[in-house]
Amino acid sequence: MKKTYIIGFVCIAAAIAIFLNASGDVSTYATFSDAETRSKVKVTGTLDLDKDFFYDPAEDPNYFSFHMLDNDGVSKKVVLTQPKPQDFELSEQVVVTGKMKDEVFVATEVLTKCPSKYKDEELLLRAES
Amino acid sequence: MNEIQYVGEHLLPGQIGHFLLILGFVSALFATFSFFKAANTLDNTWKKLGRIGFYLHGISVLGVIAMLFYVMVNHYYEYRYAFEHVSDDLPMRYILSAFWEGQEGSFLLWMFWHIFLGALLIYSAKKWEAPVMAVVMIIQVFLLSMICGIHIGFGDYVYKFGSNPTLLLRDTMEAPIFANAEYLTRITGRGLNPLLQNYWNTIHPPVTFLGFASTTVPFAFAVAALWKNSYQDVLAPMLKWSLFSGAFLGIGILMGGAWAYEALSFGGYWAWDPVENMSLVPWLILVAGIHTNVIAKSTGYSIRSTLLFFILTFVLIIYSTFLTRSGILGETSAHAFTEMGLEWQLVAFVLFFLFLGLSLFVLRYKNIPTKPKEESIYSREFWMFIGSIVLFFAGAIIAASSSLPVFNKIVTYFDPGYIGSVIEDPIPHYNKYQIWTSIFITILAGLSLFLRYREREYKAKHLRKFFIRALVHALLAAAITYAASFWISYFEVRYILLSWACWFGILASLSYFFTDGIKNLKTGAAAFSHLGFGLMIFGVITSGLNTRIVSTNPFAQRGLVDDDSLSKVISLIKGAPMFVNDYWITYERDTIDGQHRTFDIKFERIEDSVVVESFMLHPNVQFDRDFKKVAASNPDTKHYLHKDIFTNIASLPRSQMDISLAQEIEDSLEYKPYKPSLGDTIYTSKHYGVVKDIVFNPSLEDSFDLSVAVEIEFKNLDGDQVFTVTPAVGVKDNMIFEIPEVIEPFNLKLFLQDTFFTRIFNSEDQLNYAIYNVKKGASFLYKDYKIQLDNFDNTIDNDQYNAQEGDVAVGALLSVQKAGEKEEQVQPIYILRNGKSFSIKDYLPEFGLHIRFEKIDPVNESFTFSVAQDVRNINPINLLIAEDVPRSDFIIFEAKEFPGINMFWLGAIMMMLGFIFALSRRWKEK
Repeated sequence: MKKTYIIGFVCIAAAIAIFLNASGDVSTYATFSDAETRSKVKVTGTLDLDKDFFYDPAEDPNYFSFHMLDNDGVSKKVVLTQPKPQDFELSEQVVVTGKMKDEVFVATEVLTKCPSKYKDEELLLRAES
Repeated sequence: MNEIQYVGEHLLPGQIGHFLLILGFVSALFATFSFFKAANTLDNTWKKLGRIGFYLHGISVLGVIAMLFYVMVNHYYEYRYAFEHVSDDLPMRYILSAFWEGQEGSFLLWMFWHIFLGALLIYSAKKWEAPVMAVVMIIQVFLLSMICGIHIGFGDYVYKFGSNPTLLLRDTMEAPIFANAEYLTRITGRGLNPLLQNYWNTIHPPVTFLGFASTTVPFAFAVAALWKNSYQDVLAPMLKWSLFSGAFLGIGILMGGAWAYEALSFGGYWAWDPVENMSLVPWLILVAGIHTNVIAKSTGYSIRSTLLFFILTFVLIIYSTFLTRSGILGETSAHAFTEMGLEWQLVAFVLFFLFLGLSLFVLRYKNIPTKPKEESIYSREFWMFIGSIVLFFAGAIIAASSSLPVFNKIVTYFDPGYIGSVIEDPIPHYNKYQIWTSIFITILAGLSLFLRYREREYKAKHLRKFFIRALVHALLAAAITYAASFWISYFEVRYILLSWACWFGILASLSYFFTDGIKNLKTGAAAFSHLGFGLMIFGVITSGLNTRIVSTNPFAQRGLVDDDSLSKVISLIKGAPMFVNDYWITYERDTIDGQHRTFDIKFERIEDSVVVESFMLHPNVQFDRDFKKVAASNPDTKHYLHKDIFTNIASLPRSQMDISLAQEIEDSLEYKPYKPSLGDTIYTSKHYGVVKDIVFNPSLEDSFDLSVAVEIEFKNLDGDQVFTVTPAVGVKDNMIFEIPEVIEPFNLKLFLQDTFFTRIFNSEDQLNYAIYNVKKGASFLYKDYKIQLDNFDNTIDNDQYNAQEGDVAVGALLSVQKAGEKEEQVQPIYILRNGKSFSIKDYLPEFGLHIRFEKIDPVNESFTFSVAQDVRNINPINLLIAEDVPRSDFIIFEAKEFPGINMFWLGAIMMMLGFIFALSRRWKEK
């Protein structure tokens, strides 16, 4: 058999294997109810502004908790074992990665989407001197 | 409606700029057409016309760049681009940064390099000039269309081509302020994003864009070869240019990594961010193309794959441009440009060149020369080709994963209900494939050097030699991998394998370099590059896999933590050392300079309870203009030969990040009044303090004309913590200020009320002066004070005295003594101006004594002084004290150790030097 075919065959086999393997790494954005059944998920939603968030860096800078509404409107407490992201209060949308543990979503990562500062900014007026 | 006559606008640069944009666009079209004709007809007239078009285009683009700089340097905020990217307070050294902060500026930078490269091509490409330049110029047409701002209307629907940077602000946005003819006096620019106010952003983009622009050249040669159906003599210039491109694109990517590591708070040099990925992918394919190009030039094999790789490289470059600039990456990327409404134009850009390249390739596929016989598996070209395939695979995997958002978007066009999927954990996802491609590539990088081109059948003697050589290196690599395990951990078998592969590649390249490479610079450069690559990947194992978090405090957990989310930061209280992972870390002090707040952090390394090493690090944070946000956190790193210690301010107390929040917190404090007398004790709920003393002119951060403080010694109820504070009131420029004191560990804040000031210091009209005449050397008694006239001094040094022509000014030197107290010196001043006399008094705040020099009697040599004393009413002392004040004297601090990170940088630099050696060697070849 020609080596070109062997190489081609190996490449195709590798590509299929990688594709099958990689498809296990992706998932759709989940809700909190999905998180009950799956091991590690990404949940999108918005901040639950009716409930306070907790961050006391003087006590523990690696503990931040807040409440989040997922796309089904379910509110759950989320705990992040990292410092509170900047501008967290302003975020329009939140994506948390992690898993459910006793009714609490333990997140390893929190991504926030904030209104772009440099886009919607008003005209800056010179300070009257 | 009347047209408003705006005041102070400079309209000429914009008109010139707009004209040049159109001229540049038209001349690029003209040059494309002329070079196209020249390539097809081989007519020199068309070629000359093409060159004229190119020069005209070049001058136009340079003119637009000059115009934009002109309005930015002069802060002409009537122009949108100046308004958006510079401000009055932006230092001039960031003007380049500001120029390419916006999409328009970065497109111009890209075009600038195309013009530079185009000029080189006209000078050097000889018979390839016309077809190559036709391709370069059509690319230039697409790029310029992104910023020329032509509006094309179809009925009610207007499509805007590009975003024109020469437009006026008032033409691009609507705001009530434009009703004011003098609006310019009232606006200032938005300025440069503080994250980009960094010298890295001055040097990284031009190099990266030179890398981007230079991928055009191998692409143009590939297209030209297919177009003219001529493949042999294109290989040499293609190789030179692809080496050039590989060097600059590679350096550009590495500079991005160095920037992220040195100056941004990413805490690493690579994060598998889509934007980073999509700059790496074309480089990988380009390097694959360089290798097949070398094969093609040496043996005649792999011409097809070479052409295909260079076509894909360029298409991937513009695809990555599409990803970063269209906003499609959305939340998956940390760094992307703001959207500009160019999505469809960018899509057209990518598809046009993808179609152009691929259709030519398919059309000519049969014509591209190949060899009748396949490569032998004993030949170097065979394994180099395999290596290129692996590189291509490495790139393809990354490109596919990074394109998931694009895939999601496309599917939603057909199925609006489709819910897009995302990669759950990107870093392990990318790593798990790239570990294997790296293993293959590092092994092949070493092994292929031991083989020879065009080796058909290995003679038994050769074969034995080859296997022995490979085996020796493999064993040595295993030994080093084992030895390194005493320094770093491998965690998993695949990392052991990777380390072994790295060392195999390193050793093989080294031995090849010193046996053959020295003699032949061409292959020597390759060995040098391969050596660098091996070192770099091993540096990733040591620094990336073995990153050690220094700032982890196992006691500050709440029992919720998984194994994979160890705490990464600690709270450091000012002045309170904390012991973590072999170090005493102390936040000693901080200084504010403009918008920067720099922290002095002391590290002391402990071995057997002895301090063996001590050093300071100074990470800082940069606030935005109105101090409402920490805009950038700039790390500081201690560099050793074998490791780095990286430190970063992860966060600050809320009151320290936002000045308006600080005010909010201040307003929420509950102050209670206390009215102790001197010597009394005051009690708060958890602490008590003794009013010890009154201090005049205490040392304060600001300087005051006159100030007084109350010294209070505060203790907690256990009495084991003592703090002495001095809340004060002071006068500056006739304004009274209260200067509070905070006892952070007690959560207390104390104010001395300003009424205290007037009870201590009397105003002039409240004073009763007594008059004394005295001779030099003599003294008089005022109350308990003995006042003696010691001498005179004509050199007057007093803030309140402004010397004028013809003044006679004399200062009297007096000493004041109260029994049992220290002697004080005063110097009241007597002035004679235009026959009128004045006096400037001197004052002893502690005694409350006011002393004036009133008159000089020259006949009797007698001098008149007047003296008065404040009537003081010290008690009760009016204090305001708030409890439960949130602490603000701490930082959230991150410290990491990167072992062997210098191997990564050294390897990367060597790899790039290899490109440059090869380039300089090939460039001399005629």
